[in-house]
Amino acid sequence: MPPIARTYVKAAFLYFVAAFVIAALMMLDRWLDFSRWLKLVYLSQLHLLLVGWLTQLAIGVAYWIFPRFLEEQDPQPRGSDALAWGVLICLNLGLLLRFLVEPFYLMGPQSWLAVLMTLSGVLQALAALGFGLLIWGRIRPMEAKK
Amino acid sequence: MPDTSRAFVKASVVYLCLGAILGALMLINRWIPLGQVAGLVRVSHVEMLVVGWLTQLILGVAWWLFPPLKLGLRGDAPQSVRRGQAQRGSEPLFWATFLCLNAGVLLRAIFDPLYSLTRIGPFSVLSGVSGLFLFAAALAFVANMWGRVRELGRG
Repeated sequence: MPPIARTYVKAAFLYFVAAFVIAALMMLDRWLDFSRWLKLVYLSQLHLLLVGWLTQLAIGVAYWIFPRFLEEQDPQPRGSDALAWGVLICLNLGLLLRFLVEPFYLMGPQSWLAVLMTLSGVLQALAALGFGLLIWGRIRPMEAKK
Repeated sequence: MPDTSRAFVKASVVYLCLGAILGALMLINRWIPLGQVAGLVRVSHVEMLVVGWLTQLILGVAWWLFPPLKLGLRGDAPQSVRRGQAQRGSEPLFWATFLCLNAGVLLRAIFDPLYSLTRIGPFSVLSGVSGLFLFAAALAFVANMWGRVRELGRG
């Protein structure tokens, strides 16, 4: 597994654990009622699972196992490393930004928080488009083994 | 990667991009009001990402990588009954899965917000019918793949 794919998968594992820790705290909070923040983190927690865990794992594994470019198509067999790192950074920055900002936005919607939420959405959309660009050419038949 | 899987995977990448753009519009709408529609696309956003992207990607990759069906020999011939793509299962059934899944996603993603916006009855029906398409897709996929969930290297 190449280093970029390993980073995607390890980051996905961290979100998996984090999302389940938060879910456990949310369940406990129903009973113990110890944090207002936990009542507002539901949507962000869902995004940690669906984007941070599942989508990031899918992207990392696709980057690893999809058919590689032939040498004459692209000297980098899995496409641009810079783009792959860019997708990783945009996805995680966007996701973490949303996770950090959304509960405060829901407590009191202020315009600077809305700007940060917008930025998080744009970063994640850029990550999706970047991944599309990165992987599209690799969705192709495998060449026959010689 | 076979043609069938490529269609699934390409469609799933398109849904990832569309779903993420809708998500971004919903967040932009909190800062710059984009009108009523931006508040109505939540269902489309979820449907595109959970079914169109993640589910469809999983189906496409499973069809590509799961162990092939057993070869199986006819009693009267030394030739294998299944060869090549046929060892993946029924290709027409897999295309039917593709059509049903995408019809389901598109019907829900298009007509759910349209119904919320216009309250025109037939839009609600079309959005509801999407569930039947998705059910048919799930059934067809499971029926097609059941025999391939097996140990490798046994025939």
